[in-house]
Amino acid sequence: MAPILEVVGVVKRFGGVTAVNNVTLALDAGRIYGLIGPNGSGKTTLFNCITGVDRADEGQIRFKGQRIEGLKPHQIFHRGIGRTFQIIRVFPELTALENLLVVTTNDYPAALARAKELLAFVKLEGLAGEFAGNLSYGQQKLVEFVRVLMTDPELILLDESAAGVNRTLLNELLDAVRVLRDRGKTVLLVEHDMKVVMGLCETVFVLDHGEKLAEGPPGVIQTDERVIEAYFGR
Amino acid sequence: MKRLLLAGFTVLLVVLAFYPMGGTGYGVRTMLQLFMWIALAQSWNLISGLTGYVSFGHVAFFGMGAYTTAILVTKLGWPWLAACLAGGVTAMALALVIGWPCLRLKGPYFAIAMLGLNEVLRVIVSYYEGLTGGGSGLSMPTLHASVPIYYAMGLVALLVTALAYVIVTSRFGLRLMTIREDEVAAESMGIDTFRYKLYAFLLSALAPGIVGGLAARDQGYIEPMSVFPLITTITMIVMVLFGGKGTIWGPVLGAVLLFTFQEIVWARFIYLHQLIFGGIIIAVVLLMPRGILGVLQQKYNLPRTI
Amino acid sequence: MVGQVVISGLLAGALYAMVALGLGLIFGVMRVLNVAHGPLLMLGAYTTFWLFHWFGLNPYLSLLVSMPALFVVGVVLQRLLVRRVVDAPELSSLLLLFGVGIALVNVTQLAFTSDLRSVEYLTGSFVWGPFAFSKSRVIACAFAIVITAGAFWFLQKTRLGKALRAVSQSREVAQVCGVNVQRIHMLAFGFASALAAAGGSLVAVMVAIQPEMGQVYTFKSFLVIVLGGAGNYPGALVGGLLLGLVEQLSSLFLTTQVNEAVAYVLLVLVLLVRPTGLFKGRAS
Repeated sequence: MAPILEVVGVVKRFGGVTAVNNVTLALDAGRIYGLIGPNGSGKTTLFNCITGVDRADEGQIRFKGQRIEGLKPHQIFHRGIGRTFQIIRVFPELTALENLLVVTTNDYPAALARAKELLAFVKLEGLAGEFAGNLSYGQQKLVEFVRVLMTDPELILLDESAAGVNRTLLNELLDAVRVLRDRGKTVLLVEHDMKVVMGLCETVFVLDHGEKLAEGPPGVIQTDERVIEAYFGR
Repeated sequence: MKRLLLAGFTVLLVVLAFYPMGGTGYGVRTMLQLFMWIALAQSWNLISGLTGYVSFGHVAFFGMGAYTTAILVTKLGWPWLAACLAGGVTAMALALVIGWPCLRLKGPYFAIAMLGLNEVLRVIVSYYEGLTGGGSGLSMPTLHASVPIYYAMGLVALLVTALAYVIVTSRFGLRLMTIREDEVAAESMGIDTFRYKLYAFLLSALAPGIVGGLAARDQGYIEPMSVFPLITTITMIVMVLFGGKGTIWGPVLGAVLLFTFQEIVWARFIYLHQLIFGGIIIAVVLLMPRGILGVLQQKYNLPRTI
Repeated sequence: MVGQVVISGLLAGALYAMVALGLGLIFGVMRVLNVAHGPLLMLGAYTTFWLFHWFGLNPYLSLLVSMPALFVVGVVLQRLLVRRVVDAPELSSLLLLFGVGIALVNVTQLAFTSDLRSVEYLTGSFVWGPFAFSKSRVIACAFAIVITAGAFWFLQKTRLGKALRAVSQSREVAQVCGVNVQRIHMLAFGFASALAAAGGSLVAVMVAIQPEMGQVYTFKSFLVIVLGGAGNYPGALVGGLLLGLVEQLSSLFLTTQVNEAVAYVLLVLVLLVRPTGLFKGRAS
C-alpha cells in the first residue's frame, strides 16, 4: 500500500532562517501519527507547506501519489486534506453552525444536516446559533475540529488541538480522533502534551531546528537520547 | 415587530413613489441624489464591508459609467436608459480588469493600487480627447425631466439593497465574510477566496456604473474632475462606516444621515464644508468605527440582517 | 540627450527618495499608510514661502524652520490621533489620515486661499559640458542627499535609530528589549513629517505652491515604497532614484499626462510580481 502522504526533502526558508530543513516522512493510511519537537522546530511551518499556506522552496509533497506542493490551500483542501490551526481560527462573527456551513459546496440541506450532526458529535448542538467569537476557548477548539470534518477529508492535520482544553473535552477529542482512525482516516497531530502523544499515536516524528531527528513508536522515541537532548538540552 | 417595520417600509416606498407629483423640482433632484448615494454606499459595502478589502478607488466605476453613458448618448445616439445600463456593464468590465491582478494583493497594497486607479483613469480620459472631450468634458442634450431619473435612481438603490440582503443571507455572503474574518483560514477550508473576492468586486461595480450614467444624464455635462474625485469614494466610505459596515441597512442609514447633514452644512457654511467633512471623517473613525448599526448589533445581539 | 535625461531623473529621484523615506518610516514602524504625507509636504512649502515673503529668508535656510516645525506637527498628530488606529484595520488609519489631510488642505485654503504662490529665488541653470540643469534642481538634490544621509546616519548609528529599526522588524521583540514603542512611533511620525517638510521647502523654489500640491507626492511616495520594499529603508533610496529615472525617460516618449499612468502601471506590475518590493522588503 502506497503511503497516503509523502514529504520528500522539503525545505522552507524565511529570509535567513531555514524553518524546515530537508524533511522527509511518509504516512500510511488509517493510522495516527504524532509530530513533536521543541518550540520553533518547524512543525507548524511543515503543516503550512503541506496545506499550501506556505510554499516549500525545495522538495516534493505527494498526496495519494499526486504532487501537491505549489497548489493553493483551497485546492489542497478539496483533494482531501483538512487542518486545524495552532492559534484558533474560527470565524468569530459567524455562528458555530455557519462556521461549518461555509465549508462544503454540496447542496444546502445535506450540508446543514452534516453540520448539525458534527456539532452533536462534540455535544455543541445547543450552541449552534451562537457567534463563534462568544464561545469559550475549548468550545472554539471543538468547532474548529469538526469544521475540518465537514468534507470528510482523508488526511487530517491537527495543530495542538489539545492545548488549553480541559480534561473532559480533551478525552472527547481523543475519542473522536480514534473513531476517525477506525473509519480509515489518517491523522497527523502536533502536540506538546506527551501523555496525549503517547496514548494516541502509533508513530511519532520528532523535529528539531527544522530537521527530522527521529521517527518511531512512542515508547522508543521517549527514550531516544537525541530527543531528550533536543527538549531538555545536554 | 417585523410586521410593523415591513409595513412602515412599504408606506415609505409608496410615499417616495408619489413624491415627484407633489414635490418641487429642487426636492426631486435632491432626493435623486440621495438615492444615488444610497446605491453607491451599498455597493461599496458589498466588497469592502463584507470581504474587508477596502476599495479606495470605487468612484472609478462611477466615472466609468458616466463616461460610457455620455459617449454612447452623444456619439452614438443611444437612448439614455440603455446607455446607463451599458455604463454598468463597462464598469463591471473595468472591475474585472482591475480586480484580476489587484485582488491578489494583501490589504494595504490593494488600497494603494486602488488609490492610484482614480488618477490613472482621470489621466486616460484627459488624454483621449477625441472620444471623451478631454479636460473640457462632454455635454449631452438636456433632459428636462428629472423625474424618470428619480425613479431610475430609486429603483437602483432599492435593488442594490435587495441584492445586499440576498447576499448576506446566503452562503455566498457567509463565505465573503470569512475572507474578512480570516482569509488564511478561509482558504484552508476550501474557499477560493480570489474567486469570491472577484465576484463581490464585480457586483460592487455594477450599481456605481449605472448611477454614474444616470447622474451624468441628469447633470447634462461631465468632465474628468467631476466624475473621478477621490472625495466621492471617501464619502461613500464614511457613509457606510457611520451607518454600520457589513450590515444591510447601515449604508442606507449612513447615506441618509450624512447626506442630510451635508445639505444643511453646505447651505450654511459653504467654505467650511470640506473642513467639517474632514472633521467628521476623523470623528467617525475614532469614535464609532463600527457605525451606528454595528454598535447596536453588538449591544443587543441583533441578527445579521439588520 | 539620454545623458541629460538620466541625470535629470537622478536629481528628481533623490528628492523623491527623501520624501518617500518618511512615508516608509511610518509604514515600517506602524504599518500605517500616511495618506496625509502630501499635505505635510505642502505645509513645508508654505512655511518656506511665507518666511521668504515676509522676512526675505533664504529658502534653503528655512529648512531649519520647516523641518523642526513639521516634526512637532507630526509628533502631535501621532500622539493625538494616529496612535488610536495603529492596531486597527487599515481602513481606519487610511480614513483617519485622509480626514487629517483634508483638514490640513482646507485650513490652508481658508488661511491662504488657493492662489498660486511661488518663491522666486533661484533661476538659471548650471551648465556642465553638454548638459544643463536648473540650479534649483541641483541644489535641491544636494540638500536631499545631505538630509537623507543624515537620516541614515541616525538610523544606523544612534541608539534611537536602532530602536526604530528594531520596532520596524518586530514590535513585540523590541518591547521585550525595553524599547518604548510609543515614543518610537511618535518619533517616526515626526521624523517623517520633517522629511516631507524638507521636500516641500526644496520644491517651493521650483513649482507653484497651492494647497493641493502635495497629492501627487503622496502617490509617488507610495510608489517608491512599493518599489523599494516596505520596511526596507535603503530600498526607498533606490526606489526613489528609479522612479525619477523612469519618469524622465518616459517623458521622452510620452506626454507628461500619460506619465502618471506609466507610474501607475509600474506600481501595479511591481505589486503583482514582487509585492515585497524589488529588494528584500517585508510583505505586511
